[in-house]
Amino acid sequence: MELLRERLVECGWKDEMKAICRAFIKKKGRNNVTVDDLVHVITPKGRASVPDSIKAELLQRIRKFLVSAAL
Amino acid sequence: MSSRNPSYTNPKPCKHLEDYKLRHGLSGYKSIQKHLKATPHGRTSVEMLNTGVPRCNSCNGFQGRLYLCLICNSVSCLDHTLLHIQSEDGHDLAVDIERAELYCCVCCDQVYDPDFDKVVMSKHNMGVPRGDKHGDESIGERLVKRRRLGLGVAEELVDLKKSKQLVSMRDRRDKSCYPLGLRGLNNLGSTCFMNSVLQALLHAPPFRNYFLSEGHNHEACRRRSGDRLCLSCDIDVVFSAMFSGDRAPYSPAHFLYSWWQHSANLASYEQQDAHEFFISVLDGIHEKEDKSRNRNRDSGDCQCIAHRVFSGLLRSDVTCMTCGSTSTTYDPCVDISVDLDTSNFSPTDIVNKRSKPNENSSISTLLGCLDLFTRQEKLGSEQKLFCETCQEMRDSVKQMSIRRLPLVLCLHIKRFEHSPVRKMSRKIDRYLQFPFSLDMTPYLSSSIVRNRFGNRIFSVEGDESDIITDFEIFAVVTHSGTLESGHYVTYLRLRNRWYKCDDAWITEVDEEIVRASQCYMMFYVQKMLYQKADEDLSSLPLSPRRDAYLPIAG
Repeated sequence: MELLRERLVECGWKDEMKAICRAFIKKKGRNNVTVDDLVHVITPKGRASVPDSIKAELLQRIRKFLVSAAL
Repeated sequence: MSSRNPSYTNPKPCKHLEDYKLRHGLSGYKSIQKHLKATPHGRTSVEMLNTGVPRCNSCNGFQGRLYLCLICNSVSCLDHTLLHIQSEDGHDLAVDIERAELYCCVCCDQVYDPDFDKVVMSKHNMGVPRGDKHGDESIGERLVKRRRLGLGVAEELVDLKKSKQLVSMRDRRDKSCYPLGLRGLNNLGSTCFMNSVLQALLHAPPFRNYFLSEGHNHEACRRRSGDRLCLSCDIDVVFSAMFSGDRAPYSPAHFLYSWWQHSANLASYEQQDAHEFFISVLDGIHEKEDKSRNRNRDSGDCQCIAHRVFSGLLRSDVTCMTCGSTSTTYDPCVDISVDLDTSNFSPTDIVNKRSKPNENSSISTLLGCLDLFTRQEKLGSEQKLFCETCQEMRDSVKQMSIRRLPLVLCLHIKRFEHSPVRKMSRKIDRYLQFPFSLDMTPYLSSSIVRNRFGNRIFSVEGDESDIITDFEIFAVVTHSGTLESGHYVTYLRLRNRWYKCDDAWITEVDEEIVRASQCYMMFYVQKMLYQKADEDLSSLPLSPRRDAYLPIAG
């Protein structure tokens, strides 16, 4: 999990999500937003914008683990 | 209870949180406390000891966010929290298991409670900060040590060669419309590095006020020490001359000679680095003060004028990447040297380049540099540090922040890069955008440390609500040229007008010129002092205050 977090911070994904959150909050007004709203807005965008390189790297690691665990 | 912090107001609790606190107090938090686990990177999570993977009581789901009821310890997923409060009355408050954040099921929103955050923060081993008091070392030694330890790039003394400039023209035009104290400094042979910094010092409001109001008394000084060499006395002479009302360019020859005696290694007619000069002058002032003051006075902070004006405190946190415990040290400083935020410059080991096209990587800003300075920096595997908790050498993360701001903040831009491949240094001419008004709040230790832990509400050392963080720029030392040969020019801001001080030539310039210049050292003063200095300047008469002391050169 920490590796994924690190990679997402490095490539600027986290900052981008932060910016989207800020824009949303600005639009709705600070007192009219709940964490749930943010999560619902962000989740589809976030999932879509994860860079392929990160996906590939993590998939590779999972595969490697599964192979080693199966032995 | 955390103290009030102006940049950070505790959010008002919702009605349900208030009711819960009234009825249950801190008992729920305390029961959670043993299940909280601190992970490195400032995160906390809840670990229920019995089950492996937490699952929702209603749907047995384990995906997404799961919430632990504070009263009955039942786990619900986001969809079923409402179900829980319907079946159990009063079970409004829950804790997000993965993030250890309070959640109100009725408001369907995260809520914040300083008491809860305090419990969470108690799990993070912050260590006991060690305030290193190097009472006996001179400031120069300490700074040299800091450079050698913290900075990987070799910082050699910069030799700037410059051909000698013939100063044939003496401008005796009456510039009485110029503010008091504005006077050219003759170049005595590649001394633009000295002139540029002197101009900045001469117009640093607290520094200037000290010397102009006889803060340093010559007779008393000579009587006390008998020692001939006193940089402060010589600076005092320069002040008197510069503020005498005479507009002809002044030659600080005596001061130069004194400074050579103090910094023998830099004594030559070769070009020097302005920042080195600045540090050595402050060191010289401090040393003399140190010698004459009673050494037994253990008040902690040095009271010499150099320190009173320029000295701040930096905080360095080193966190173990395995267990998350942090060790903190405090180091005094008289300036902050920051790396240029060069997003274009790509060393060979960066693989993940930012792939967003709309990212503004073309302009470096001062705020970007300060962000870089206070960013969490992963120390390489060859720099493993010993972690007390783990009792092993571990990978660590270091983060700098500012614990105490000085009256005058000197920011030094490290405009040189050392290429280990080519084994040479070169200057970075990249343009740096800098603001005239600077708010240092985001770089304070309180902000940085709080941010590291997800902005939880807890008190950080230095959380005084009266910390002054607004600064105004008053001097910019710019450099043009290469590492070997170049020229320094200072821009001074007096009465909201900018003046270019190019050795002996003083001209008023537009602020756009200043903004476009290649800054090397920037001097910011606390806003209140800047405004007061402006008033002082306007009310000062043009006639010299101490004409009995120094005759006006005809």
